[in-house]
Amino acid sequence: MKPSQALALFAAGGVLAASFLVGDVKLSILVGVLAVAIAALGLDVLVARVGELSLAHAAFFGIGAFTTVNAGDRGLPWPLAILAGVVATVIAATIAGLPSLRIRGLQVAITTLAFQVFAESFLFTRTDVTAAGRELVRPPFLEGDVQLYCFALVCLALVLALRHRIAVTKASRSFFAVRDIETRAKCFGVEPGPTKLLAYALSGAIVGLAGAVFAMKAGSISAKEPFLLFESLQLVAIVVVGGRGSATGILTAAFLVKGLSQFVTTVPIVDLEPDRIFPISAALLLVIAVVAFPAGIGGVYRVIGRLVDEVFDPAGARPDPRPQPVDPAAAEHAAALRDVPRAVRLRVPTPALLVADAARVEYGGIVALDDLSLEVRRGEIVGLIGANGAGKSTFFNAVSGLGPTTGSITYRGEELVGLSPARRSALGIARTFQDMGLVRAETVRQNVLLAQTWLVPTPAAAGLFGLGQSVREEHDLRRRADLALELFGLGHLADVRLGDLPYGTTRIVEIAASIATGPELLLLDEPSAGLGPEESHALADSLLALRAELGMTLVVIEHHVPLIARVCDYAYCLESGSLIAEGRPDVVTQQPQVIASFLGRSDAATGGVSA
Amino acid sequence: MAARLITGLTSGAGYALVAIGVVLIFKGMRILSLAQGEIGAFGFLLALRWSARGVPGLGWHISPFVTMVVAVVVGALVGALVERLVVRPLATRPPLDALIATLGIALFLALLEKEMFGTAAHFAPSPVGDWKIELFGATLTAPRVIAIVALAIVAFALWLFFTRTRFGLGVLATSGDPVVARILGIPVTRVYRFVWIAAGALAGLAAALLGSAFGGIAPFDMTRFGLSALAGAVIGGLDSIWGAIIGCLAVGAIEGVVGGTFETSGTAELAVLVLVVGTLLVRPRGLLGSEAAA
Repeated sequence: MKPSQALALFAAGGVLAASFLVGDVKLSILVGVLAVAIAALGLDVLVARVGELSLAHAAFFGIGAFTTVNAGDRGLPWPLAILAGVVATVIAATIAGLPSLRIRGLQVAITTLAFQVFAESFLFTRTDVTAAGRELVRPPFLEGDVQLYCFALVCLALVLALRHRIAVTKASRSFFAVRDIETRAKCFGVEPGPTKLLAYALSGAIVGLAGAVFAMKAGSISAKEPFLLFESLQLVAIVVVGGRGSATGILTAAFLVKGLSQFVTTVPIVDLEPDRIFPISAALLLVIAVVAFPAGIGGVYRVIGRLVDEVFDPAGARPDPRPQPVDPAAAEHAAALRDVPRAVRLRVPTPALLVADAARVEYGGIVALDDLSLEVRRGEIVGLIGANGAGKSTFFNAVSGLGPTTGSITYRGEELVGLSPARRSALGIARTFQDMGLVRAETVRQNVLLAQTWLVPTPAAAGLFGLGQSVREEHDLRRRADLALELFGLGHLADVRLGDLPYGTTRIVEIAASIATGPELLLLDEPSAGLGPEESHALADSLLALRAELGMTLVVIEHHVPLIARVCDYAYCLESGSLIAEGRPDVVTQQPQVIASFLGRSDAATGGVSA
Repeated sequence: MAARLITGLTSGAGYALVAIGVVLIFKGMRILSLAQGEIGAFGFLLALRWSARGVPGLGWHISPFVTMVVAVVVGALVGALVERLVVRPLATRPPLDALIATLGIALFLALLEKEMFGTAAHFAPSPVGDWKIELFGATLTAPRVIAIVALAIVAFALWLFFTRTRFGLGVLATSGDPVVARILGIPVTRVYRFVWIAAGALAGLAAALLGSAFGGIAPFDMTRFGLSALAGAVIGGLDSIWGAIIGCLAVGAIEGVVGGTFETSGTAELAVLVLVVGTLLVRPRGLLGSEAAA
């Protein structure tokens, strides 16, 4: 355990112990604060993990509370009443989340806003929903304030446990992939629709539980004020001021916004009643936090933790951000294979692995890929060259299923056109993107795990509770991730945030992630872009080793001609979506039309291209 | 029925004035502002206070017409302030951050209004005279008629602005790609300031007309008007001024007809929810929005 973690545990224990000493009345206030805090933790699942903003969470809170009371009033025992509240809220939140399948962030926020307005003016004005006088009968052992407070704490613990499961299972990867790389993540097997609905359902379950806590405290509910739009906005304020993704920060913010005004009787200096000055300060804090300190209170805690760790361990175990040397035996092995005289190297006489036959991609009136036909044979490293806009990346998109393709592309004889991106991945095709197809805000390991999503058949929802084969699958995934990272000398960086690494290393991480699924065909989009000469040299070694040691077939889009000449067996040159030359790389790069295409003129002749 | 429809359409015209501001901001910055309703309400509530108790220090009891002028000017000032202090630093961040920030501003202004002016509704005399006209059985008060007229004038002026002026073209260019626009020499910062000032002024105008059309205004009232305006803007397509006008007129009409026909409270809100979700499901970019508004 790090010193900062020990301190955090100690502080949390202290706050918890102290909270029992505030007296019964204040304790009852704290139960209300906890209910709101749990609701905010539910909203945070959507905001921080999936990047969607719901402005209907106060309505969900109300649906949970009213359903619990009504269920209790109809004679259901209290645990079932709570369950009813949670289930009703899950259903409501999932329905409210349906538009997110078709539309994106900003518009979704408006549809949730419309849902909130509908709920408070339609649902919460109906007497069969809200009628005062209905009562939830609490069991005798929950009658006192201390008992209710303990009950709320148990609910909070449940929610924190669920949030932990979300953070360490498939759900987490699917969520951050949908948040940051929705389209590309389809290649990894992440399905945006079910993923978003799962997020809304989980968020709804947590908020529903918050509503149930509120109902257990109140017994009967006469006012709809806690469930109006204003409270929805306050929940957003609590999440953002507390710090998106930080449970401790959000708990602190919930206390500041909802609890503190009950604990201080007057605010010094301005001399105003706290319950008037605090909400408006929270609104102001929200604006300031978004503009100047997006990490919120949780960010402050993290900074303190880092400082504490540095005091206790000044040397600080900061890993070297570059890949470490790989097992020398493996490298030598690969180097030996490279020593084939250029003149005797022939096109591998094996059946074609990938065959494009008149593959065509059009966007509106623009033809990005013009009836392209080419083939890639098993065990080859094939280069794809051409100027910007020639259609190279479009071809990769067509193969991996990210573009509207017609014509035919077969892989091991199987037609790819019409298959989902995830299916193509499962057939053994992996790819990288020119500009990072991974999520910078997450760790290297999480990203490599994300890339293997389609390897795991168990749904993310089942994974949360460790159902089915999910525990074994997760274990297996982690082992594969470690192997892939070791192969590129990245093992020591597994827990570093991708965004904290130098650019060259992130490119290698992307290759490592793409081979973690053990693909047979690997499509690399400008792997050497942005690399220095040394890194580029090491990259060439890695590519050759991939073929030698893992038996992979590679297609490489490259502008760096020396790299192509060194690793490729065969090269295709594209221009305006059509093939203009093919052959051995040293021959192709000398052809006049290729040089003209690269340099934009035909007299650039001598010495070939050295782009 | 026809009377309710026409009254609803005039409310829709008021929403459209707010929504045009939302669209201007979205066109200029790709940011969705949730604060426009409050920005308008703040200026108008301040003006009503001055009308009732006199301008602080001067003691003038301003006339109803001047309350509208004050609402427009204060709206523009608050818009400029919000742009400079809050939104400009967020221009390069994810759009959700700016959305949350405008939400914070809405919350802040609403609470500030409550603190300064109390929760009770303030009587709002018509700033544009006390006449009324009869149309298909609907009795339209002066603010309602003027809302339609003002909407027509604003729409025409903006059409001229975007098609006939270099600066208007600059706003369009900025909405396409701010980095390229800056390289081309378009004063992007001035574009940002312009859209917020214009949107603030329009919000103030809308608050004065809607507030007096409904007889009075309370803090949080404009939140509701602002929501209807947002619904209209989303239906019409976030970057289309004509779309916003059509969307808001539709929302106003539905609120008028459905709200007036059914006894059960909340049916109008239900109808608006169905309209918003339905439109976006069929056409995520809205009726007239471009691809970028999807």
